[in-house]
Amino acid sequence: MSKKYWRGLPELHNSPEFQEQQKNEFAEPLPMDEFLSSDETSSNGTTRRDFLKVMGFSTAAVALAACETPVNRSIPYVVKPEEVTPGVANFYATTFYDGHDFSSILVKTREGRPIKIESNDMAHSHNGTNARIQASVLGLYDGARLRGPLVKGQDATWKAADDAVAAALNGNVRILTSTIISPSTKAVIAEFITKHPNTKHVTYDAVSYSALVSANKNVFGKSVVSSYDFSKAKIVVGIACDFLGNWLSGPEFAKQFAKNRKVTKENPDMSQHFHFETNLSLTGANADYRYMVKPSELGKVALSFFNEVAMATGNAKVSGDDKIANADASKAIKKIVAKLIDHKGKSLVVSGLNDEGVQTLINGINKMLDNYGKTVDVENHSNLKQSDDKEFTQMVSDMAAGKVNVLMTYNCNPIYTAPASLNFAAAYKKVAMKVSFAQVLDETAQMADVVCPDNHYLESWGDANPKRGMFTLQQPTINPIFAKPRHEGTRQFQDSILKWSGIKSDYLAYLQGYWNNRVYPNQGKYLDFPSFWAHALHDGCVKVAIHKDAPVTPLATDSTGKPLMEGVATAIAEMMADSSKVVKVEPIAKKKEEKAEEVVLPNPDYNKAGSMAASLKGGKWELFVYEKMGLGNGNYSNNPWLMEMPDPISKVTWDNYITMSPTDVKEMGLREMLRQDIHGSIADLTVNGVTVKVPVYPQPGQTPGTIGLALGYGRSAETLKVANGIGVNAFQFMSVINETIQAVSLNVNIAGTSEKHLFAATQIQHTIMGREEYLLREVSLNEFKSNPKEYWNPAVELAVHGGGKTSVNNVDLWAAHPRPGHKWGMSIDMNLCFGCGACVVACTSENNVAVVGKAEVAKTRDMHWLRIDRYYSSDMNTRKGKEEGLGSKEMYIEMENPSANPQVTFQPMMCQHCNHAPCETVCPVLATSHSTEGLNMMTYNRCIGTRYCANNCPFKVRRFNWFNYNGNEDFATVNPAQQELGRMVLNPDVVVRSRGVMEKCSMCQQRLQAGKLEAKKAGAPLKDGSVKTACQSACPSNAIVFGDLNDADSMISKERNDERSYFLLEDVGIKPTNSYKVKVRNQDEQIIFAEEAPKAEAVKETEEKHS
Amino acid sequence: MKNNISRISLKALIAIVFTVFTFSNQLNAQDGAKLFKQNCAVCHASHTDQKLTGPGLKGIFDRAPKGDWLKNWILNNEKLIKSGDAYANKIYNENGKAAMTVFEGQLTDKDVDAILGFIKAPLPAAPGVTPGQTVADATNAEPQGSIDPLYLILGAIIVLAVLLGALRSVRTSLQNSVRRSEGSEELPDLTFWQEAKAWMGQRRRLVGVIAIILLFGGMKSCWDACYRIGVYYDYKTQKGYKPEQPIKFSHKLHAGDNEIACQYCHSSVEKSRHAGIPSVNICMNCHKGIQKGPQYGEKEIAKIYEASGFDPKTGNYDNSKQNPLKWIKVHNLPDHVYFNHSQHVVVGKIECATCHGNVKEMTVAEQKSPLTMKWCIECHRKTEVVMQGNAYYDRLHKALKEKYAGQYDVKFTVDKIGGLECAKCHY
Repeated sequence: MSKKYWRGLPELHNSPEFQEQQKNEFAEPLPMDEFLSSDETSSNGTTRRDFLKVMGFSTAAVALAACETPVNRSIPYVVKPEEVTPGVANFYATTFYDGHDFSSILVKTREGRPIKIESNDMAHSHNGTNARIQASVLGLYDGARLRGPLVKGQDATWKAADDAVAAALNGNVRILTSTIISPSTKAVIAEFITKHPNTKHVTYDAVSYSALVSANKNVFGKSVVSSYDFSKAKIVVGIACDFLGNWLSGPEFAKQFAKNRKVTKENPDMSQHFHFETNLSLTGANADYRYMVKPSELGKVALSFFNEVAMATGNAKVSGDDKIANADASKAIKKIVAKLIDHKGKSLVVSGLNDEGVQTLINGINKMLDNYGKTVDVENHSNLKQSDDKEFTQMVSDMAAGKVNVLMTYNCNPIYTAPASLNFAAAYKKVAMKVSFAQVLDETAQMADVVCPDNHYLESWGDANPKRGMFTLQQPTINPIFAKPRHEGTRQFQDSILKWSGIKSDYLAYLQGYWNNRVYPNQGKYLDFPSFWAHALHDGCVKVAIHKDAPVTPLATDSTGKPLMEGVATAIAEMMADSSKVVKVEPIAKKKEEKAEEVVLPNPDYNKAGSMAASLKGGKWELFVYEKMGLGNGNYSNNPWLMEMPDPISKVTWDNYITMSPTDVKEMGLREMLRQDIHGSIADLTVNGVTVKVPVYPQPGQTPGTIGLALGYGRSAETLKVANGIGVNAFQFMSVINETIQAVSLNVNIAGTSEKHLFAATQIQHTIMGREEYLLREVSLNEFKSNPKEYWNPAVELAVHGGGKTSVNNVDLWAAHPRPGHKWGMSIDMNLCFGCGACVVACTSENNVAVVGKAEVAKTRDMHWLRIDRYYSSDMNTRKGKEEGLGSKEMYIEMENPSANPQVTFQPMMCQHCNHAPCETVCPVLATSHSTEGLNMMTYNRCIGTRYCANNCPFKVRRFNWFNYNGNEDFATVNPAQQELGRMVLNPDVVVRSRGVMEKCSMCQQRLQAGKLEAKKAGAPLKDGSVKTACQSACPSNAIVFGDLNDADSMISKERNDERSYFLLEDVGIKPTNSYKVKVRNQDEQIIFAEEAPKAEAVKETEEKHS
Repeated sequence: MKNNISRISLKALIAIVFTVFTFSNQLNAQDGAKLFKQNCAVCHASHTDQKLTGPGLKGIFDRAPKGDWLKNWILNNEKLIKSGDAYANKIYNENGKAAMTVFEGQLTDKDVDAILGFIKAPLPAAPGVTPGQTVADATNAEPQGSIDPLYLILGAIIVLAVLLGALRSVRTSLQNSVRRSEGSEELPDLTFWQEAKAWMGQRRRLVGVIAIILLFGGMKSCWDACYRIGVYYDYKTQKGYKPEQPIKFSHKLHAGDNEIACQYCHSSVEKSRHAGIPSVNICMNCHKGIQKGPQYGEKEIAKIYEASGFDPKTGNYDNSKQNPLKWIKVHNLPDHVYFNHSQHVVVGKIECATCHGNVKEMTVAEQKSPLTMKWCIECHRKTEVVMQGNAYYDRLHKALKEKYAGQYDVKFTVDKIGGLECAKCHY
């Protein structure tokens, strides 16, 4: 018997209603009728047929609409300018100076569009480029640029802007500018001052060099910044001075410094470089010896040097506390001073601290070392930095007191850059009439009453006097992009000032008048001004025989009060129209023989300087703000190329962070981020009572107890779409110490938080992990000199079956291919590569490399064809591991940690164009193949995106287009190629790659082809050096040499035959086209321990590890 | 019609030329006319006073000093000016010191005589061929501001449709009133469509024929439209692409009949990757004088004036009225291909016609070669590199000779020096 279950009482009772209900499947009737009988469906609603009709129609309509005439139009000029040939680039010499970096450059234009910056080899000096100068061309096409003047924040006409300014031009006027090195611009300002006598011109640099000026005044009676010649210095001592990067004139100094770093067997002399600093700077990373010092003690380092040198040279010591916490550093100072004394007149001590006391001591040291007139020159001084911090702070207090009625800011952005302690914003609001000449609506321009946007430098006329005796010209390479009739347009600053000075002449005529009067008489090469002008404009640079500063007073006027310059412009125009004509224009102002000024040398008070230098009292934490190679002082923050350029040291992109010593990070319990793809912590940084949230980056080489923070980030201006919201503004943390604006803050506190932060770094591992021999060969100068090549640069050998070894060149899977025509080769000297990153940006600019933004970089999807690998040394090495009896696992784990104060090596890495390329053999569609000229070719139109090649590349230089970066709107903000304006910068000779294809360094194939074609057309052999890759020509220190290996006399053949030359991963048998040169460190310590045969050990251990 | 007239007048001109001149004179003048057209017509009007770049030559034999002066001037005007010749300097100054080309070396004495003979001989009126014909005639010939016939037809259709509707309602009401008076039943109130259907039902054959005509007409116009936008030709190769250009420019007339060198207009062909579409000012070099063409009269040439802001009445340019011409590109390569004209023309010494066909016969520019990669490669496989006499190739030539030493009949074609490699054209 089975039990019976009921579903409920109704079933038990089994009533007739229940029986009836059981017949229906659904307990309740479905609302079918209601649904079907609704008015919409049954009568006039959408029926299936209607739906199909509509669908059919819309499909047809879409198809019809897509039937746009698929024609390409070709629109020729109406009147073709004589110098423009479509498809052929023109180069114009001009000058880059943004108040921060200076370079004499060539601008490549195509069909009238500037697309690339090259260094100007016609200039005698000052012609190196850095990343910012390379990237500056993109600034021309920045969508954030103002299209016309603003009055009270509203678009206005130029007339309205002029009227508004003219109406307010009374009372005290201040013109606040960054350093102006254009003598004619200074004369223009002088014209304005003549017209409005209550005007004062105040110079303010965001990163100030005011102390150097004061120090030279103290010691030499000259308020100037000295010029330096690192090429003559055999011993260089830097105290927090990033001279290879951002200090004063980085590219110029890098070029000079490189001259003493190029070591050959024949000429094994090399300068020695000692560096004392807080953060690991680019220059510190390249030093032979580097010492970590807290910011508060940097002055004491200078003081110790002064006292040691004084003792050695028999001069008076200076009292003052010169004790340094770092015992190594104080011990080293004594040794270094001995070397300095040995190299009197051939040494150089520099400091980047903007402290009058320190700089006075440095002057004293160089004076005692007899370096003046040799490595330092105060006579032929530099003009690049002229700011006066005292004047600036005075002006701010005047403004706060309501004593300034009109303030004009040109090429500076004090709301953003002034230290918080000055409270500039509050003072600014008290000025009745605020005029800004900013090109973009930056933080200062946002608050200004009238904004008169200046032209971009590539649209401007101008001149420059970077160094005494050197003059350069700036010429427009394009008409102003924003001009009538579409826009109200931009106007050059000088034109605005001339107009407001009541001078009815444009700046070009004024400039020519100025050059005729003040520059032309100082030279003896050209007999008439027009040809002098034409040549100066062509070369971009003039060296005058008479080293005289061009006066910056207004030009002489005629009886009607007009400056005497009219005749000049017409004469030049006539000469330009007919080159056979020689028009003589007499210099209007008669040449006057000026007597050399008698300078009475002041008696410098070194004791005062010493106590000033040692006056800083450090706390638990000390903050040192610094400039990055990418953003510098923030002039080009809105430039996506620079944002995406990895920082040379940290390799982090798109980010601002505080750098702390890894030991400090560990102690504070913050995330150690042992690999760069692991999140970091966010900390609360409090400086002078202001707290900001910043990610923490553990930086080997950072002095314990100190914090580094980069300038140029934290832009709040909303129009700066790329930069807005990235990082914090470090300028606010600068302090006014000893009346100068210093990069140091001593009232600092830091507290960790539990928040995480993702860094987008392009290099994940820090160290070379015992693979020095195959990738990163280094040697000390001693070993280099005293040992044969086999010791420090051994040939790579492979073990063969049956015992014995043979050269890797004898072992080959493939037959060699002939290279009958050209055989390209590249050599990179790791001694000369300082890692500055100019080549990275140059490559981006030349090859239309896409910008991908932080999120993609964090996924290792950066697109740079050329990267610079940075390796830290580790305290652990194979020999030490063996000595300590460590197992290989422990050893390799230990090897991953960089030293606390690591030695750094930079290795530019691009496609090595392997002659037996692993990528080529795995491509299923032959999209990558080898040329008869020895290059590994990448054919985008054939690529189907399997990415096998990237997998098989031992150098990870192949880049895959995961998205259509040039069209996908997710990248619209970061990728300039997506904007109507930004697209103008693209190189028309290089394809813009689309989604799903692989790309990589092509060795600037377009340049090679163009160079070959020129030679073929001329019917002459290709001249060595006539073809340069973009990275090569951008490199300020000439670390990269490129050329034809089949030409025995070429530079590259010589480099390749050099003893220091070696190939990367040669043991794999890939036969790279690129070679590197062994890095030589001018150190006494042994670097190589080849005699202990670590190679065999390493191989064995690796085997053990794998098993 | 107009074409016929100009053709007839051309014939008339030739007939007159034959009858009026003596045999020797005719030879001279014919050569002279050609030489004049080639060398002088750009700057001078031969038989009128009209000043182009240089003065009109009517009455030149009365004005200029007698003897060999004219000949000397034509051959080397610079020398004559420098020699201090009074009349030469006067002319030079009067014409804004614009230097005239020195023809010494280009023209022989005989040529100059022929040119002078041409100028001396009277030229009968022949519209459309005389350079520098007066402008007043030109403007009379063509009525300004014609209306597109399409709009006329559309307008007529609308008017007819309205008329039809009105007539129909009038007819219906009239018929109804007749029926009402007759007392019979009123007509059913049919819609227009119902009535039309009934009407068509009665005349099926006619409607069928009309429908077929419309269908074919529509197909033809679709075909034509596709042809104009370049859809219908061989899609893969684009060979035969022959788009209608904004100006009915004829290569046949310019390069064929008038023998203007290709490089005169496509001036960057030897310098650049692009051969270059001539800028309007190059057109104006000649068309400042030649204001009327043989086929389309002033209509097409007026488009150049419009583009350049030139006013043929005053002879002045107004830069603010410039309006660039938008030519349609005939030869299109994909973006990922790099092609360089100067490489092929200067280094490879390839004739234009090798790829572009006989342009001299084309009234409308047409793509003659497929421009496919196969086509490029086939040519690279069989074309020998011109190595002799080009020092660039010396080393390569030597190496290749060594490589192929002993082999008979080896040609150093482009592919042998890497001309088939991807990165030579794709980067």
